[in-house]
Amino acid sequence: MSTALVTGLNGLSYAFILFLLAAGFSLTFGVMGVLNLSHGALFMFGAYIGLQVVSQLHNFWVAIAIAAIALAVIGFGLYFFFLRHLYNKVPEQAVLTIGLSYMIANVVLWIWGPVNHMGQEPGVLAGVFKVGTLSFPIYRLFIIGVGLLILALLWWVQDRTRVGAIIRAGMDNKDMTVSLGINYGLVSTLVFLLGMALAGVAGILGTPILGSYPSMGDNLLLLTLIVVVVGGTGYIQGTMLGALIIGLLDTFGKAYIPQAALFFSYIIFLVVLLVRPSGLIGRKVF
Amino acid sequence: MRRAPRSLIELTLPVIVVGVVVLTLPLFLPSFVASLVTKMMIYALFGMSLNIIWGYAGIPSFGHAAFFGVGGYAAGILVLRVGISSFWINLVLAVVVTAVVAAILGIPAFRVFGVGAGATNPIYFLLATIAFGELLSRGAIALRPLTGGSTGLAGIPAADLGLGFKMTSGRYYYLVFVVLVVCLYLIYRIVNSHYGYALRGIHDNERRMQALGYNTWLYKYTSWIIAGAFGAVAGVLFAHFGGIMVPNNLAMMTSDIAFLLVILGSTTTFFGPIVASVVYVGVEYLASIYLPERWPLIFGALFVITIMFLPQGLGVEILRVWRRVIRGTA
Repeated sequence: MSTALVTGLNGLSYAFILFLLAAGFSLTFGVMGVLNLSHGALFMFGAYIGLQVVSQLHNFWVAIAIAAIALAVIGFGLYFFFLRHLYNKVPEQAVLTIGLSYMIANVVLWIWGPVNHMGQEPGVLAGVFKVGTLSFPIYRLFIIGVGLLILALLWWVQDRTRVGAIIRAGMDNKDMTVSLGINYGLVSTLVFLLGMALAGVAGILGTPILGSYPSMGDNLLLLTLIVVVVGGTGYIQGTMLGALIIGLLDTFGKAYIPQAALFFSYIIFLVVLLVRPSGLIGRKVF
Repeated sequence: MRRAPRSLIELTLPVIVVGVVVLTLPLFLPSFVASLVTKMMIYALFGMSLNIIWGYAGIPSFGHAAFFGVGGYAAGILVLRVGISSFWINLVLAVVVTAVVAAILGIPAFRVFGVGAGATNPIYFLLATIAFGELLSRGAIALRPLTGGSTGLAGIPAADLGLGFKMTSGRYYYLVFVVLVVCLYLIYRIVNSHYGYALRGIHDNERRMQALGYNTWLYKYTSWIIAGAFGAVAGVLFAHFGGIMVPNNLAMMTSDIAFLLVILGSTTTFFGPIVASVVYVGVEYLASIYLPERWPLIFGALFVITIMFLPQGLGVEILRVWRRVIRGTA
């Protein structure tokens, strides 16, 4: 029972990292109609940038900010040089971003080498939180807290603000939204940059748990795709639900049935595709 | 869009020239070049098989390696674990196994590849097909006694054609050539049949095809199985060529090669993937000599260059030049 609680906490913190990653992916996909398969590789790149900043400046908080800003800048470049020209061409976007993710992974390997670099949590968040005989790592609680905060923020933006209303309107009927004089292009580009920044935050937050190694982008991209399909696109709560299911399933699977753990996520994924192709909580975006 | 060449020379001359060059090549050039050309031919078939669904039916599958890998693994398992040595029997069985796998995976896949709204944006289909490849490659890792696990199924022997025929790499070249020619002929007949035209119709306007009374789901589903079967042939040839199948042969890395072959070659010409496989294997070979460590960077750059600078693909460019040459001289 006690190990199950600790595993549950680990699973939750993992789920929130997946959430941050998948939220960016799903926003891009829902709002811009862009399939960015380099999202995983950029997440990994964000982790490396963050670690580099930590090793130079010894400040985790600055590293989070720099990783987020750096990825937003890279995202702008990605949009400006490539995606802008591939509007509405999904297979082309997919091919292009797959190519970019190979390039990013190889450049990272070139600069930082193949070794798995583990991050170090800041001193304030090191140590464990004891409840009776159980001990929970504070850092994992911190990730859950940050994840909840961002979830609340995104949810509020989606349901309660003008930007959220524009996004929802655009997903329902883009042409109509544009014809009302709304600069939907600007809003969707900003949302894309926000998604990239979230990937950067997820990257550096994840380093003390997942580490960072050149091929992690592919692994996390696949999990992100599964989360997005299971949860559905278009609603932030769908992404959260997908991340919770996959994060917990993966963690508990690895803890109790390691041989079969690899399959669980994929089986859930196939079942959802068969039964509810638009995801558990999803709107038909396209 | 995809018009048949007007004059007979326009079509037959290049086919004959390429055929003669490929047939006589091993006589003049060192054996490593023949081995490269063997690989080009295998990849050409792999790319062509994906082009049936992508180029003609407009279904961009991201998990085509699943079929390539299942075919290759099936052939390897039949030789090493089951003990059937005949290349021909294994080829047929591997194709049948792969067709069954394709038929099973096609059911969930085409649930998300809807008509109308869904068909114009194949994002979910892309995601589903990526997962198929990954699922199968993880299956190959888990089923260690059968597949050799993560180190792969090694020691697949040279193809045994029966009748005491001794296979060498020089002879394998011609076997691959013959199989490729037969497959290309079959694919050509398929895509230029009534069935093939129906696939193009679905690509252009699925709703209209439905209005005309076509069961478009069935057309897409069967084309997916056919593409899988030809992909399996490429996989079988590959298994005997390299002597090893690894889980990665089922997964994204290999699917990406097929994707590159189609998009670099062009989705609108029949022979595009052949041209692309020559370029791809050539670049891969050069990279393996001069810059082996930067190969993924070059591989990725090929995708980016293709999309940004050759969106039509090499096939269309070559066709344009060739038509100009023919019209100029005639």
